Order: sequence, then structure tokens, then C-alpha cells
Amino acid sequence: MVDSLDVRYGGVHAVRDVSFSVAPGEIVGLIGPNGAGKSSTLHAIMGLAPATGSVRLGDAELVGRRPEDIARSGIALVPEGRRIFAELTVAQNLRLGLAGRQAHGGTKELYDGIHELFPIVHEFRNRQAGALSGGQQQQLAIARALVSEPEVLLLDEPSLGLAPSVVDVVFGALAAIKERGLAVLLVEQRAQRTVAAADRTHVLGGGELRLTLGPDDAADTEKLVGAYLS
Amino acid sequence: MTVTWQNLADGVGLGAIYALMAVGIGLVFGVLRLVNFAYGQLVMAGAFALALAAEWGWPVWAGIVLCFAVVLALSVAMDYLVFRPLRGHSPAVMLVATFAVAFLLQNIALLWFGSLGKIASSLSTLNRPWVISGVEIRKIAIVAVIVAAVCLFALNQLLERTEIGLHMRAASMDFGTSRMLGVRANRVISFAVIISGVLAAVVAVMLTVQSPLVTPDFALTDTIVVLAGVVVGGLNRPIPATLGGFLIGFATGVLGGALPTTQSQYLPTFVFVAVIVVLLVRPRGLFDFSRTVERV
Amino acid sequence: MRRVYALQELAAPALLVIVAALLGTLVSVSTQTYFTDTLVKVAIVVALYVFIGNSGVLSFGHISFVALGAWTAGVLSVPASEKPAIMPNLAHFLLHRNVGNVASLVLAAIVGGIAAFVVGVPLMRLSGLAAGIATFAVLQITNNILQYEEKIGPGLNAFSSVPETTGLRQAALGALVCIVIAFAYARTRYGRLLRATREDDAAARAVGASVYRQRLIAFTLSGVLAGLAGGLYVHLLPVQANSLYLDLTFLTLAMLVVGGSSSLLGAVVGALAVSALDSWLSVAENGTSLFGWHVDLPSGTSEIVVGVLMAVVLILRPSGLTGGRELRLRLRLRPRPRPT
Repeated sequence: MVDSLDVRYGGVHAVRDVSFSVAPGEIVGLIGPNGAGKSSTLHAIMGLAPATGSVRLGDAELVGRRPEDIARSGIALVPEGRRIFAELTVAQNLRLGLAGRQAHGGTKELYDGIHELFPIVHEFRNRQAGALSGGQQQQLAIARALVSEPEVLLLDEPSLGLAPSVVDVVFGALAAIKERGLAVLLVEQRAQRTVAAADRTHVLGGGELRLTLGPDDAADTEKLVGAYLS
Repeated sequence: MTVTWQNLADGVGLGAIYALMAVGIGLVFGVLRLVNFAYGQLVMAGAFALALAAEWGWPVWAGIVLCFAVVLALSVAMDYLVFRPLRGHSPAVMLVATFAVAFLLQNIALLWFGSLGKIASSLSTLNRPWVISGVEIRKIAIVAVIVAAVCLFALNQLLERTEIGLHMRAASMDFGTSRMLGVRANRVISFAVIISGVLAAVVAVMLTVQSPLVTPDFALTDTIVVLAGVVVGGLNRPIPATLGGFLIGFATGVLGGALPTTQSQYLPTFVFVAVIVVLLVRPRGLFDFSRTVERV
Repeated sequence: MRRVYALQELAAPALLVIVAALLGTLVSVSTQTYFTDTLVKVAIVVALYVFIGNSGVLSFGHISFVALGAWTAGVLSVPASEKPAIMPNLAHFLLHRNVGNVASLVLAAIVGGIAAFVVGVPLMRLSGLAAGIATFAVLQITNNILQYEEKIGPGLNAFSSVPETTGLRQAALGALVCIVIAFAYARTRYGRLLRATREDDAAARAVGASVYRQRLIAFTLSGVLAGLAGGLYVHLLPVQANSLYLDLTFLTLAMLVVGGSSSLLGAVVGALAVSALDSWLSVAENGTSLFGWHVDLPSGTSEIVVGVLMAVVLILRPSGLTGGRELRLRLRLRPRPRPT
């Protein structure tokens, strides 16, 4: 669904002719060194960066549309740094996710499904979101994205700065989300975990797609290192 | 200096009106990062609507309706013609632009109505005093406090309870992330502009009771003082901004009445020295304690 | 070769001022006042440019320094015999002090500079919105004090009886002095460092530029020029505190914005263009004819037109009419750098 995508910031050509697709019930990883164009790709899909080329969701073309319209058409981004609203309560943060939801009603079932994945979001619902720990905030950010009932979930470095045990929780949740039939696009620094969790992992370098790895390559450290250095 | 009950009541009344103006300015700043210098001219336009209605012999309610209609129409026009095209420009450019709009509106009023102004007298009975246990207090002071309290309570309910209110609060904290979540930017901005306009109309009604002579520079000084109060309180947060507006109105009202002229004429100097000190020492405002949120 | 190009950057604005002054000699005495007034405005706008243009930081406060300059030159120029009538509460040490025309202008510039330095020491730490509001506060304070402090001036009254030495020639010379100083400053290391901070704060810090110190230098220098312009102004017409306040702040900012705030040429072009428009409209408000058409505009039209013009330029072309570039008579061999 992403086809020959290009992103330029002024004179910087951040993403060059990148194409890939993600199907429902599939996790696709996007790894690569800093500045490889991973986040720029996500931002371009979300309408947050100036892009040329094509991004399609089903038959709908997304390039050139406003971020709020893209969110409302069924794509949700869990941004880098989580970007939760620290001064609002956990429940209010979740409610904001409804802004991107098209369906009406049935919020009870929706919330129940999310609380099942992330019990802390229910437990701490009346607390200020800024008072949560980093790992809890990350869970809230993912939960908030899920409230919009997206077809595609984009995640920008969800494990950044988290303790290993919390990283397990996040990756566990991703597997469950995949089970629910969402298409997941995961940008990560933790290459090995990503390759293991994803159905396919694309390696980006210098804004270009360099290599595609399968889950079996996770154990092949040499190949991973080689992918980064290529 | 002797402070009388009347001084205090006037101070509270003016504080209440300024608090509403502060909220009006703060709401738009929250979603647009734009300090609307032209806010006072919205109030001025509403005041002229009231004066014209009085001149035409309209009943009071019709005058108030006209006032709201004029202020809201002007607010929406400002939003479409100025604020939206300016979105994304630097704060400095936006500040200069609204400065230009303020100047423009003031001169249009000058062109239409002349510098002598008009009298908006239909509500002047509110200027008479009530005697409460031997103390005389002008009715408008009490009315202003009640109206301001009702407005602020309603606004608070709106921001806390409704979906659009939540979206507005989120947008004023982090506009980019809100849009990414699907919060519709234009709707939130229109909504903030309209509420801000409603408050300007309310302020116009109450200020014309206090000073019925409406001139093209009506509410200009008030706006400048309120801007100072909003900055001192904390621009980006509704409650501190309201507090700042109230306090500066209260101080101006009490001191303006109680100090001898030789001292009270320098009130603006003290107010604006305070603004500069706050900007230097606590740039996020006096009442902003948000950095002290504890972690669990 | 580089020096030749550089001098072109000086020549274009200077020539414009000289042409305006020469045109002024051709018209009737009553029309000449508009030209003289325009040239004083050029001086004010160039003073604004020195700070706003080079630093990219907004200031609503410069008319304070113009007002202080006017007060300085005015108080020291009113004949001693007239002082008790105009300024009955004047401080004793000012009652009998009088200086000549040029000395009063120099002192006006010095007072403007000192005031700007004193204000700048705390304020130059601010930028963006905070700078705008703080400098606006400075304008309020200055206006408030000048209106009521009768020990240092006429208070609410107008500064009458000041010798009217600012004719076309003095105004043109004053404007040229401001232009030359502004040009020279922009060419110094300080000017270049400050402009570097305007483009990229972080990069400027990296090469060791103290943003604060560079801004303070520019602010002080622009205070000097604003003070000088204020001195010129009080020698032109009987000013009062409220004629050096919001309206003049608005008008001069409009001139800078319309011309293009980041170049000296823009400042001068903006001042001349807006002044010309403003003056013509003011005349038209009293009835005039244009290409055989009789024009009679209602009074207040000029302010409205200038207001609309400023808003439109800000919205559609924030870099101003000149696009913020200096005039250089050469072919562009290299492609223009893409805006980032």
C-alpha cells in the first residue's frame, strides 16, 4: 500500500522511492540506523511530512490529505515519545482516541477489549496521565490508538527507553493486536526482537529500502549486522 | 489610602469582567498560539451595536441580541480572513497581524461613528446602587460577578464534559498530536473563536453599563491591561489566565478608586513593570505549577 | 568586486532618500511637510530595522526611544523664556539648560541609546511572543511616565516652541546618517553574527556567538537611531506623548513589514511607499484630483488602507515587498538556495 514514497525536507531527501505493503493480521517491521528514514516514512503516511508518491488504504489515496482526515480514515499512529497528554487523566486520554473513530456507539465493548489488553489503563483511569511510568504511558499511547478502531496501526519506536520486562509487555500486546486482524507497521531500533516478531522486516538505509528479512533471520546475527552496514 | 466597600465591590466587578476577557483571549491563544490584540475591538464593536440599538429606540433585549450578532459575525470573519491564513506563521508575525487588525477596526469605527462616540444607555439603571446593610454597592458590580461566575461555570462544564471541549483542551496542549488522533483542527479553532466571541459580547454589555460613552478606543486600555494580566497569570492555561485577569482587574479597580490621582495615574507603570518581571522570572506565568506533577 | 556590490547595497536606499528629498524641493511649502515627515519616518523605520531586521526578534518598544529622544531634544531646545509657560513643573536643573540644534540631536541619540541598553539588559533574554509582549510593556511604561511626569517635560501638553529646525535638509541628512550607520553595522562582525542567529540559533552558538550580547548591541544601536529620529521629530512639529505611542508604533511597524523587515532596502522602500500612500490618502481626505477624477475620501481612510495593506502583506507575503533582499545589480549565476 506504500508505493514509491518520497519525502523531502527542504534540501534533505529523507525517503527515496520506498515501496512496501502491510496486510491485515500482519506485522511488518521497519528497522535501520538513525536517520535512515524510518520515522519520516511513518510521518509521511500520517500526513505529517510532505510526501510524494502514493499511500493507499484499500482504494483510498492518502498522500496530500490532512492528518486528522487520515486518522479518521482508519490509520492510527503511536508516536515516538508517546505524546500522551500529561495533564489529562488516563480516561480522558483514551477518550481522545475516539476523535479518530468513525463508528458510533458500542464504546463499552470497545473499552472492554482494550482493558483486556492493557489492564493498567483501566486500573489507573482517574489518574493524571503524566503521573504514569514510562512503560504505563506507552501502554496508554497504544490503547489510545486502538480506541479509534484503526485498520492499520503504526508504531514509532514503542520500546524506546523502556525496561526489558515492559518491552515484553509491549511486544506481547502487538502479537495480540495482530491476532485481532489489524495491520501493524512497527518502526524499531531493537532489530533482533523486531525481526523475530514481524512477518517481514524491511531494512532502511539512507532513505532507501535495502533488504527484507524474515522471522528466521532473527537468529542470524551476522546477517543483521550486515544489513545495517550495507 | 482608604479603601471603601464601594472600592472593593468595584474591584471585584472589574476583576470579573477582566477575567472573562482573559478567558476569551486565552482560549484562542490555546488553539492558535495567537495573542489577539484585536480582542478589545470586538468588545468595541459590540458596544457600538448596543449604542446604536439604544439610539434607534430598540428594546434592551434586541440591543443585546444585536450586540451578540455583531461580535460573533466579526469573530468568525476574523477567523476566516486573518487567523486561518496566518496559521503556521511565527508567533511574532501573528502578533503584528492582529495588531494591524486592531488598528484597522478602530479606524473603521472612527470613520463610521466619529471620535466623539455614542451613548449606550439602555442598561444604565444597573449603575444605581443597592444598599446592603448600610453599604452602597452599585448593582453592576454584583451583576458582573454573577454573570462572570455563570459564564465560567458553563465554560468549565463545556471543557470538562463535552467531546469538543476535551478536543479543545487537548489541542491547546499539543495541537499536532491532537490532529494526529483525528481531532479536526478547523472545528476546534472555530469553536474557540466563537466562544471567545460570546465572551467578548458579554463583556461589551457589562462594560457599557460601567462606562456608557462608546468611542472607537472603547475597551482598548482594558484589553492592554487584560493582556498584561493574562501573561502574568499564564497564557496557555485557562485557570491561571482567568486568575491573572481577575487579579489585575481587582487591583486596578480598588487602587484606581482608593489611591489619590497623583499616585493612581502611575498604575499602568506598576502593572507593566510587573509584566516584565514575570516574563523574565516565570515565563510560564505566576500560577503555572504544572511541572510539579508527582510520579507514582 | 565584493566591496562594489556592498556599496550598491548602501547606494540604493541612500539614493531613494536623496531623490525623495529632491522631489520635496519641487513642491509647495505645505506639501513639503509631507516629504520632511516621511524622511523622519525613514529614520525611525531604519532604527527598527537595525534590531528587528538583523535579529528577527519583534519589538513594539522602539517608539519609547523615539519619544525619549524627542523629550530630550525638546526639553533642551525650548527657549528658557518659554519654559515656565509650557512646562511649569519642570525640574530645576532643566529650567535653564539649553543647547543648540545639533547638540540636542546628539543628546537625543545618546539618551535613546542609554534607555535601550538599560531596557535591553533584562529583555534581550526573551524572544518570540515574550519579547513582543515585554517590549509592548516598555512602550506602555514610557508613555505612562511621559504623560504624567511633568518634571521632565510638558506632560499631556504638546511640545510647542521647539525651534523648527527639521526642514527637508535636516530630515534627509538624519535619514542618511541612520542608513549609513545601519549599513555599516550590518557589515561588521557583530551584524553578521546577529544575522546568523536569526537564521539558525544553534549554528550561531556553535561558532561562539552569544545571542544575548549580539542582540543587546543591536538593540542599543537601534535605540541610538530611534533617539535621533525622535530628536528630528520634535524639531519638526509639536509632538505630544500620545502622538509617539500606539499609532506611530503601528505605522512604523507596518512600513517595516510592508517593505520587508530583513533588509535595509526593504525598510527604506517600506517607509517611503507607505508614507507616500498615507500622505496621498490624507490629502485625498480633503479632496484632490487624480488623473482628472475628483477624489474626496472620508477622513480615516488612510489608516484603514494602511491597516488592510499591512494585514494583506503579512498574510500573503510575510517577507515584504522586497522579499527581504538587498538590491544587487548582477546576474544570479548560482541557483537560489531552496528555502528550508
